[in-house]
Amino acid sequence: MRPAAPAGSSPRLLLALATGFVVILVLLPIAQLVETVLREGTGTSTLILSSPEVRTAAVNSVVLSVAVMLLAVPLGTAMALGLRRTDVPARAFWRVAVLLPVLVPEFVLGYSWTQAYGRAGFTDALVGVHWQGVLGPGGVLAVLVANTAPVAYLLAAVGLATRAEPDLERAAQASGAGGATVMRTITLPLLRPSIAAASVLVFVLSLQSFAVPQVMGAPAGFTTLTTTIYADLSFASDPLSFVEAVALALVLVLLTAAVVAPADAMLGPRLRVTRVAEPAAAPLGRRPSTGRWVAAGLGGYLVVAVGLPLLALLSAAITRAVGLPPRPGNWTLDNFRLVIDQRSIEALGRSVALAVLAASLLVVIGACVALLEHRRFGRGMATLSILTLALPGSTLAVALLITYGRWLAGSLVLILLAYLAKLWALAHRPITGALDRLVPEELYAARASGATWLTAMRTVALRPMAPALLGAWLVCFLTALHEVTMSSMLYGPGSETLAVIVLNSQELGRIGPTAALSVLLTLLMVVPALPLWLLSRRLRVARAGHAGSDTGNDSATDPALRGSARAY
Amino acid sequence: MRTDSTTDDVLRVRGLTVEYEGVAAVSEVDLTVARGEVVALLGPSGSGKSTLLHAVAGFRSPSAGEIWLHGRLVAAPGHAVPPERRDVGVVFQNYALWPHLSVVDTVAYPARRRGTGRTSARAEALLILRLLDIARLADRRPAELSGGEQQRVGLARALARRAALSVFDEPTAHLDTHVRGLFLEELRARQRDSGTAAVYATHDAQEALGLADRVVLLDAGRVVQLGSPEQVYAEPVDLWAATLTGPASMLTTRVARADAEHCTLDVAGTEVRVACKSPELSDPSVRRLLVRPEWARLGGALPGRLRAVWYRGPHTDHLVETPVGDVLIRVSGAVSGRQVGEAVSWSLDRTWALAGPDGPPPSAQPPLSSAASAGWSEPPRR
Repeated sequence: MRPAAPAGSSPRLLLALATGFVVILVLLPIAQLVETVLREGTGTSTLILSSPEVRTAAVNSVVLSVAVMLLAVPLGTAMALGLRRTDVPARAFWRVAVLLPVLVPEFVLGYSWTQAYGRAGFTDALVGVHWQGVLGPGGVLAVLVANTAPVAYLLAAVGLATRAEPDLERAAQASGAGGATVMRTITLPLLRPSIAAASVLVFVLSLQSFAVPQVMGAPAGFTTLTTTIYADLSFASDPLSFVEAVALALVLVLLTAAVVAPADAMLGPRLRVTRVAEPAAAPLGRRPSTGRWVAAGLGGYLVVAVGLPLLALLSAAITRAVGLPPRPGNWTLDNFRLVIDQRSIEALGRSVALAVLAASLLVVIGACVALLEHRRFGRGMATLSILTLALPGSTLAVALLITYGRWLAGSLVLILLAYLAKLWALAHRPITGALDRLVPEELYAARASGATWLTAMRTVALRPMAPALLGAWLVCFLTALHEVTMSSMLYGPGSETLAVIVLNSQELGRIGPTAALSVLLTLLMVVPALPLWLLSRRLRVARAGHAGSDTGNDSATDPALRGSARAY
Repeated sequence: MRTDSTTDDVLRVRGLTVEYEGVAAVSEVDLTVARGEVVALLGPSGSGKSTLLHAVAGFRSPSAGEIWLHGRLVAAPGHAVPPERRDVGVVFQNYALWPHLSVVDTVAYPARRRGTGRTSARAEALLILRLLDIARLADRRPAELSGGEQQRVGLARALARRAALSVFDEPTAHLDTHVRGLFLEELRARQRDSGTAAVYATHDAQEALGLADRVVLLDAGRVVQLGSPEQVYAEPVDLWAATLTGPASMLTTRVARADAEHCTLDVAGTEVRVACKSPELSDPSVRRLLVRPEWARLGGALPGRLRAVWYRGPHTDHLVETPVGDVLIRVSGAVSGRQVGEAVSWSLDRTWALAGPDGPPPSAQPPLSSAASAGWSEPPRR
């Protein structure tokens, strides 16, 4: 249900603001991108695109993304089914825990895997076992699967909560279907749209991913489109390499569009058909052993995907020298002393300032567009905002660079613009969701009691929307804080963010300091996130007599977390 | 597996307790349903109707007690036969139609699970759809059906299960009044044809009384009364049961004399002899007496004053203030000419003395709106 369009209020200012935002940050840069490629002529472009290196990178990107999709989506779906359809012990704990891989910055996750499973890494030092292929396509694949499986889990879990009402499965049981048959004939078919959406999302996230291929693939000579663009922009002095970056940025966005556009057309309307789920549905699996197996599987997955890597990262950060066994005798804080210098403290300040500014602006812009969505013009704007989510960060960075580079190259303003363009949808989605959940009659009641539209929004709507606003701010803040794809392409002297410093340190091969910086970056995420998350939970208004409290709970936290997963 | 071949009961529930997170939703319920019998569970929301049905169907496990189907133990603590092996058809309150299946495939589903091939299962489904007069909907999806049509499909699916027991979980709760009537008519006809037993949960007294062979009154998970529709309506065990089953007035007066069939009441000095079947009326005492609206008439020897008049269409309700309490009197058709506040006389044909200790008379406030047309008000909490 949507609140009625605000009668009598003028959306002209909102519309102008939102239109200006879209033109400056999205349309103009993309037009510049296309124009640059056309200006260089098809001959140059063909030359670039037919080079074996570029072709390899493109094939690697596509094959990697398909492989990640094929592994992460079944894994995430299985996690959702395991958590929602068995009597797994400590369900509430697992529901939060499975999201951990997505909350750790992508870069940190990739780097920590190399420290955990690589040669002379954590497992090597402890039990003499290491994985030769952790640097290379295998490692990139494994980390991307670990990183995107929670996204697939969230979509499948929301699908289960909203589409697969327990009564639908009970009806099948009462019709004579056993557990496996219910799964095959009812549950999975009902989840089909969610699984399809998860596949598209995971594919796009993998295609755009930069930090993991850069940290784990590049050292082994495994290149993707995103790492090639980065290399073209960072290291080459050849003017042709800049044109190559521009051309590849366009290829990346075309590849994305080729997948997203038909999927959106096909899935969009079907995904919008949602049903209210019964709260606190009883698990349908009855054998206690199933739940224990699920818990064991989830625990094993989390230990391998996040637990050991983060432990290895911490160990590398506090161990005196590379190759020493992680024993108390070898522990030191030297690495932290080394990295906490003038340069990184300044970078930290810049990171936080950028993140606060971006998040605050985004919440305002997101709210404007969400309000406009209920108007005729706004609908298109909302669609556009979702498309920017699919726009690869590398493409956006290159596009902004060629459009505004001559004035703003290397400045914090350009990085801020990139954040605003890329994270717009993250702010917009949860706010739209909260607006949609408002009960129109409550606003009507306020109006009928004599409140103007604005007063009604302020007095009746703002309070129930507070958690969503805070959640949107938090997601934007955290995502901006560890954004590295665009920051690493757009920074100049004096505008490095902390994430860029960590990436540079890793590229210089400084293991201890990089690990120490990674630990700091992760702490930087956790320290503000926890109290703010708790606050947003407290702000949630309990609604009496509203069905689907279970779903409501999910929708309050999930868009936020889902958002943070999509940001790369 | 424990079996008991001595019984002809389709369903036997013994001392059933079902808990949600430590709170008993159903407590120590005993119930039997014979072959072909329809039993209605009547109670307000939260009284445990759905939980009881879910336990019978196998969606919930009991924490105490036993459930037997056809002489076979299907549920006891630590023992549960899964729903698909219980031979119970279920009709759900929210229809529970699968959005990805067409009507014919939905109704063919139970046959498919019995191992019938797709073509014959569909043919069988079409027969049932024809029987329910909804064959034209065969190729539609649930989203393209009205509420009444959806619930007919739900009924068709339960019939296709060919179970000896069907359970109905408030199937008319989301239906409009006229659609509800049609659905109930259909349900009764199919029930007669198939001869299966049924347990039917509802919060609507008229539905329960009109449909069932026996009615179970449930409150807070416990059985308050079990009897024929006439019994629970005319001889409720207490005030709560009386207000749950229909409009009820309560008079507090002295019973002068009583025999098996009649009693003589003292109404403000006037002695009246009325039909009065009640178990504990041997001693002259002050009692609370139930009066159903059709048990009293306007005109007669007793004094009163008209407090309110509600025209209801087929009949008109009069609330009369009397020295022994307010009494609701129902008169057929539209009765005009009487003004609120004027003195009226009335008489009493029949009453029912409620069991239990004497208490202060319940306040007989008239309903403020027509929403309470079915009864006086919400049944008081016990």
